[in-house]
Amino acid sequence: MDKIREINKSFGKLDVLVNVSIDFPHGKTTCILGPSGCGKTTLLNIISGLWAEDSGNIYGFQGDIAYVFQEDRLIPWKNIEDNLRFVLRGKINKMEMDNIIDKYLKLVSLEEYKRYYPSQLSGGMRQRINILRAFIYPSNLIIMDEPFKSLDINTKQVLIDFCKFLREIYEKTCIIVTHDIDEAILLGHRIVILTDKPTTVKKIIEIEEQDNWIRLRTEIEREFTA
Amino acid sequence: MKGYTSKGKWHVTISIALTICIYMILSWVVGDEIILPTVRSIIENIVDIGKGPSFLRILGSSLYRSLWGFTISFLLAIVLAIISGVYGPIYYLISPTIKFLNSVPIIAIILLALIWLNSEMVPMFVGFVMVFPILFETVLKSIVNIDSNLMEMARVYKVKNFYIIKDIYMPSIYMGLMNILPSSIGLNLKMVISGEVLSQPKYAIGSNLQLQKMYLNTSGVFAWIVIILILGKVLEYLMRGLMRWIKLEK
Repeated sequence: MDKIREINKSFGKLDVLVNVSIDFPHGKTTCILGPSGCGKTTLLNIISGLWAEDSGNIYGFQGDIAYVFQEDRLIPWKNIEDNLRFVLRGKINKMEMDNIIDKYLKLVSLEEYKRYYPSQLSGGMRQRINILRAFIYPSNLIIMDEPFKSLDINTKQVLIDFCKFLREIYEKTCIIVTHDIDEAILLGHRIVILTDKPTTVKKIIEIEEQDNWIRLRTEIEREFTA
Repeated sequence: MKGYTSKGKWHVTISIALTICIYMILSWVVGDEIILPTVRSIIENIVDIGKGPSFLRILGSSLYRSLWGFTISFLLAIVLAIISGVYGPIYYLISPTIKFLNSVPIIAIILLALIWLNSEMVPMFVGFVMVFPILFETVLKSIVNIDSNLMEMARVYKVKNFYIIKDIYMPSIYMGLMNILPSSIGLNLKMVISGEVLSQPKYAIGSNLQLQKMYLNTSGVFAWIVIILILGKVLEYLMRGLMRWIKLEK
């Protein structure tokens, strides 16, 4: 299990994270739910090694990490196939790379778009490629930073299903940051609710398949807005 | 778009024909071969120059100087701009020189070049002084304007530096240079010829321009101008073709 213990981070005099401790079970999806601006992205950047924590310990998180950004971050002058190739080069051999790209583009019914450039695709399609890129990347951990933030409700639902589908195939550990309760319930095996700044862990909820969705939502909403 | 382009080509052809017509009328009105020679005498001079035993050597020498100077400017601009874009202190080291080259009148630098360098090197140096800052700033701007989100993505996915340079840096630089390279190669040729006028190498378009001026052979000067225009256009055309080819290869 990957875990963080007593993580603290401040910017100048502003305390952003205070004694944050979370477990991330392997192969499970942990959703970090918190109000906008509470320091969720800061936490992700510390976990992914982009920023250093002021104090605390990080255990596990070995090997490479894949990242789904809020924006698609596809290279505009490369077609979809080459965008996927870009992150795989040097990590697996060419033949394996071709097989993986073809196989998974076909699996998610995007193979006909492999020669398309990002500008030729809709925002939802580009975000699907962004998510697919993270799943086919050879890593055990995927971090997603509000991946459905700027999408309309229909596209969001399609992408959530897309994410669940890929998760079933790959069984990777996922950390998803969101401020949307429905997204967290739909995607998470565990939901970690954070307070507003200075941010601490308010509550951790384990989600079981037989859980009553309305009861769960009401409980999270009560914690979230309290 | 295609219709618009072909319409544009017609406009250019008509405006060139109109300019020639106006020139013909003016030279007929002035009636003085030294001030405004007739189109006929210019064409005769072009034919004479073309038949001259050293014509190809003159053309080749000027082209050689121009292309060598341009290649040096281009390579140096790319290398220094990449280094400056990646390491800030190097930019601050180069920046005063670029600002100096941009603000000092070109003729002052030509005069210095005449003192420092031999007649073969002066034209290349003049072209370099004019074109290098333009290419350097274009490449630097392309690097500085690279989307930081893309760079962060490459860093998170641990993409090797070689692929970051090849797949993010080089295309960004290419796009920056795409519009400016064809016009820069034409500008470089013009500056090299200006340098030749002053430094007078043995075989050079500039030296011949100066020679025609000394003999007050205005139609000869016009004839060389036409040759320079054609040469400049051919260089621009070839450069555009080269850029298109590189794009296709990519």
